[in-house]
Amino acid sequence: MAAAALGPAILRRIRLSPSPSSSQPFAAAAAAAASHPHALARWLSRPMSSHDAHLTREEVVDRVLDVLKSHPKVDPSKVNPDAHFEKDLGLDSLDTVEVVMAIEEEFKLEIPDREADKIDSLPLAIEYVSNHPMAA
Amino acid sequence: MAFTMRAVKVPLNSASLEEARHRVFDFFKQACRSIPTIMEIYNLEDVVTPAQLRSSIAKQIRRNQEVTNPKVIDMLLFKGMEELNNIVEHAKQRHHVIGQYVIGEQGLVKDTASKDQGGSEFLKKFYTSNYF
Repeated sequence: MAAAALGPAILRRIRLSPSPSSSQPFAAAAAAAASHPHALARWLSRPMSSHDAHLTREEVVDRVLDVLKSHPKVDPSKVNPDAHFEKDLGLDSLDTVEVVMAIEEEFKLEIPDREADKIDSLPLAIEYVSNHPMAA
Repeated sequence: MAFTMRAVKVPLNSASLEEARHRVFDFFKQACRSIPTIMEIYNLEDVVTPAQLRSSIAKQIRRNQEVTNPKVIDMLLFKGMEELNNIVEHAKQRHHVIGQYVIGEQGLVKDTASKDQGGSEFLKKFYTSNYF
C-alpha cells in the first residue's frame, strides 16, 4: 500500500535532534562552531575541500631532512638545509635519484623527469616541494 | 595489461653513453614506482620497507657501474626490464623476491661462513666473487 512505502521514505528523511526546539540539522553544528565563525563558514561553503591544507615551510624542511637522514649512505650530522647531495653529502648520481624517489614517496608526489633532473641539492628539493600544490 | 605496456617494443639503441645513462635512471625510477605494487603482490609489508627495496635495486644497478659501452648497457637494461616485468606480473614467487632482493647475496654468504670457523682468507674471497 502507499502508506507502507511512505513510512520508510519518511523515516529516511527525518533527522532526530536531541533538543525538541531545534529542527534544523545545522543548529547543533552552529552552536558548537559559534566560537569559530571562520570554521563554520568554511564548513558550510566547502565542507570537504583541501584548499587550505598547505604544508608549512618548517614542516617541509623537517620532513625532507628526515628523509635524507634515514638514507643509509648519508651521514646524519652533515645534513642541513643548505647541503648539496654530491658535493656535501658525498652521494653519486644514482643516490641522488634514489633520494628524489624517497622524497616523492614521502610527499606523495610524482615529479616529472625534467624537474627531477634539476633537483641536486637540499634547497632545491625543499623549494620544489613547498611550491608543489599537491604535496601532502 | 600493464606488463605488456611496460615491455619494450622497440629494441633499445643508445647512441651515446649519456643517453644510456639517462635510460638507466629512467629504469630505476620505473622500478621504484613499482615498489608499492610489488609489496602488495608478495605481502612484503612486514618483511621489508620500500626504502630498503630501493637501496637493493640501486645496489644491483651499481654492480655494473663500470660498463662504458652503450650497447652493453642497453643489453643490461633489457635484462633488468625483463626482471622487473617478471616480478610485477607475479611470474616469480615470494621466496624468489625475498632471497634475491631482501636478503641479497650477502645474507646467504653469512650462513655458509658460520660453518667454516677457522676458514681461510682464500675461501672467504672465493665465496664472494670470481675475481680477486
